[in-house]
Amino acid sequence: MTIICAHIRLAVTAIALLMLAVAAAPVAAQQPGSVDPNAAAVKEQQLLQDHYFIRGLGTIPDTKSYVVEQPLGRVWRVVHEVWLHWIGSLVILGVVALLAIFYFTRGPILIEGGRSGRTMLRFTSIERFSHWMVAVSFVILGITGLNITFGKELLLPLIGPEAFSLWAIAAKYAHDYSSLPFVIGVVMLFLLWVRKNMLTAVDIEWFKEGGGMIGHSHPPAEKFNGGQKVLFWLVVLGTIGVAATGLFLLFPFYWTDIMGMQLAQVIHALVAIVFVALIIAHIYIGTLGMEGGFDAMSNGEVDLNWAKQHHSLWVEQELGQGRNAAPPAGATTTPAT
Amino acid sequence: MRAFLLACLAVLVIGAAGYCALDALQQPSGEAFATDSARIDPSWSWRTGLAAPSGSQCQPRKIWQWFFVDFRRPADELPVCSDSQ
Repeated sequence: MTIICAHIRLAVTAIALLMLAVAAAPVAAQQPGSVDPNAAAVKEQQLLQDHYFIRGLGTIPDTKSYVVEQPLGRVWRVVHEVWLHWIGSLVILGVVALLAIFYFTRGPILIEGGRSGRTMLRFTSIERFSHWMVAVSFVILGITGLNITFGKELLLPLIGPEAFSLWAIAAKYAHDYSSLPFVIGVVMLFLLWVRKNMLTAVDIEWFKEGGGMIGHSHPPAEKFNGGQKVLFWLVVLGTIGVAATGLFLLFPFYWTDIMGMQLAQVIHALVAIVFVALIIAHIYIGTLGMEGGFDAMSNGEVDLNWAKQHHSLWVEQELGQGRNAAPPAGATTTPAT
Repeated sequence: MRAFLLACLAVLVIGAAGYCALDALQQPSGEAFATDSARIDPSWSWRTGLAAPSGSQCQPRKIWQWFFVDFRRPADELPVCSDSQ
């Protein structure tokens, strides 16, 4: 009897242990170090966090094809599809809004005393040619570049996929090839104007007085005032930025890998957004914002009163060198002094 | 106005020159981003494997070779005859 009881106890204990083991199995499977059916996925996630690339093995000479996954590409996609939209919208629309506020509160800067009827040569033919070459190619670059960032959201719903596809292809080619005259034009402007765009003490005073934008004071200025000199250097630096990064995109994989190209694209886009905002402000001040300003680039001649108001030191210098202001065509007046 | 029109013309001319220059410098993307090993030569066909190319020293494969998938290169044959595309 005792033996039978011992056997029964043993059997019950064995069954109890077995049941305990079965019940504990799922818990044990979740413990670290145990066999996890999802181990491969976990390892992949760790790899994605710890490495720029996950490479496989390949036999073909094109080693780029060995990259199986590039996790930073997802970051780039978010920057390109989300962040650039926000940054671009805020910067460009922000500048347009500020200019609109400025225009409706301050109004255009008029020539005090009206036009004199006498003009001075402000920019030579080669200067105007270089400026317009930069301007025309920049407008093409700006519109086609903004299409790359905003076209899918703004144009595609309006004109449909077929028309958008055609436009996007043409815009891409126009963007690539108008970059060349743009860079050449900026180099020409740099060579023509660099000497006259060195910042001096006069420009510091010009900035202290707000450049004559607020109120009716007109601080003295040379051929280029402080604001124009800052614009000049920003254009030079911006061109270096977009041209250098643009080369990486124009010659893919020549000097860098996919990660370098993604970085180049983001820098290219950010610099270009600031560039576009800057040039919108420049266009405003050269057209709507200032009476007589556009003449300097349309025919090269500016009114003497405009010149005295905005570039008094330059006028003194020009008159001192014997370059008198010319009367309008057909009029017979004495030269200005 | 004349400076503006000349600038427009210059943009077109320099852009077109840039197109021609880059077209000569760069390969089409279908070639630049593929390799000979990965690309399929469209002129290749089974017939070229079965028949000896005219004027070449390549030997046509015999039926039993196709049957037994025996494509070893005969000792006296040029390597180009059995290189896969």
